[in-house]
Amino acid sequence: MNGPRFRHRGWLFSPLAGLALPAPTQAHMTVQGMSSFMTGALHPLMTPSHVILLLALGLAVGQHVPLRLGAPLKAFASLSALGLALTTTGRIAGVHPGILSGIAFAVGGVVALGKKLPFVIPTILLGTGAFAIGLDSGVEKAGAWTVFGTLSGTWVGLLVYLVNFAFYTSLAAAKKQQWLQIGIRVAGSWILAISVLMLAFALRK
Amino acid sequence: MRSMKPPRPSSLARAVVATAVLLLLQGDASAHSTTGNIGGFVSGFEHPLTGLDHIVAMIAVGLWGAYLRAPAMWLLPVVFPVVMAFGGALGVLHVTLPAVETCIALSGLLLGLAVAFAVRPPLWVAAVIVGFFAIFHGHAHGTELPNSANAMTYAIGFVIATGLLHLSGIALGLLLRWPWGHVVVRLSGAAIAVIGCLFLTGTIKA
Repeated sequence: MNGPRFRHRGWLFSPLAGLALPAPTQAHMTVQGMSSFMTGALHPLMTPSHVILLLALGLAVGQHVPLRLGAPLKAFASLSALGLALTTTGRIAGVHPGILSGIAFAVGGVVALGKKLPFVIPTILLGTGAFAIGLDSGVEKAGAWTVFGTLSGTWVGLLVYLVNFAFYTSLAAAKKQQWLQIGIRVAGSWILAISVLMLAFALRK
Repeated sequence: MRSMKPPRPSSLARAVVATAVLLLLQGDASAHSTTGNIGGFVSGFEHPLTGLDHIVAMIAVGLWGAYLRAPAMWLLPVVFPVVMAFGGALGVLHVTLPAVETCIALSGLLLGLAVAFAVRPPLWVAAVIVGFFAIFHGHAHGTELPNSANAMTYAIGFVIATGLLHLSGIALGLLLRWPWGHVVVRLSGAAIAVIGCLFLTGTIKA
């Protein structure tokens, strides 16, 4: 009995282990032979501040079952697209790390509290986070098609990662075991703690 | 509160131990790097694991939480990293705190004694005690941040390592389901208190 039970619960810890394993590629690294679309799709995963924020948003959306992705996903998709589109104007050189950390701080706090908030609050946080990530994902000096392909890939990647994080969080939240729900709140508190440190680093600069 | 069903320890403990082992298996290439994302993560992850005074205090938090059972078992490891991060932020911003090393040593002593004597105060008292000491632990880590490290991944590694130390304490605390486990856990608390005392008296240098 213990074997199967362990297998079902163990998956929650695998992302932590994955973080510690040596990564073959670095953030913003271009892989030869990879299309601009795929480079863009992988970009959110290669940027730690984006991963943390996406994870926090996914936890916030999936924490309370049943999973309702409709309005949050519309806000996320439209505002991330807007943010990505604005990077093509050439007037935006990215987002200050303190802003990304500030949003992650707020979202991590919401997850750590574990309270079911009015639907509009997670939606606003999701939209704000999406807009900030979009603005921070600009492509430097490339042809129009390369920029289009990369930004399209980033947009699709953002949606896929968010939906995955939210879906797997909701699967855990739907279980009857109390420690799974608490585990989600612990993850939120860790994101909150990381964001506090990041804010301090941003202020020190 | 006492009627809340505790988690099944065997599978949870194995998952925690397996994750801790995996996290410690760093590859050579990243272990030698001090810059970039991986270098920052490794620096941050190693930092809470480099001082015995920090390690024993964090394990004691998990052990004490396990003794207090749910919801304290989970609340204390939630409180500690958050408050410690605030302490770390003070250290990063060069805000000075008095008697940091003394308070860190004192945390090992008092938290160890709390486990050894199975002290069960109200939850808010335990949270305040843990939170108070967390500020000093965080401050010490914040002031020692290497300049070359990537700040973001340093913070991620730092918080994950701290959390895993708590989970290790909780995993050890799950031995409480057996009668002999009480002896092991209380002896562990006593050992932590002794180590804290040795740091406090300066027998062991931080």
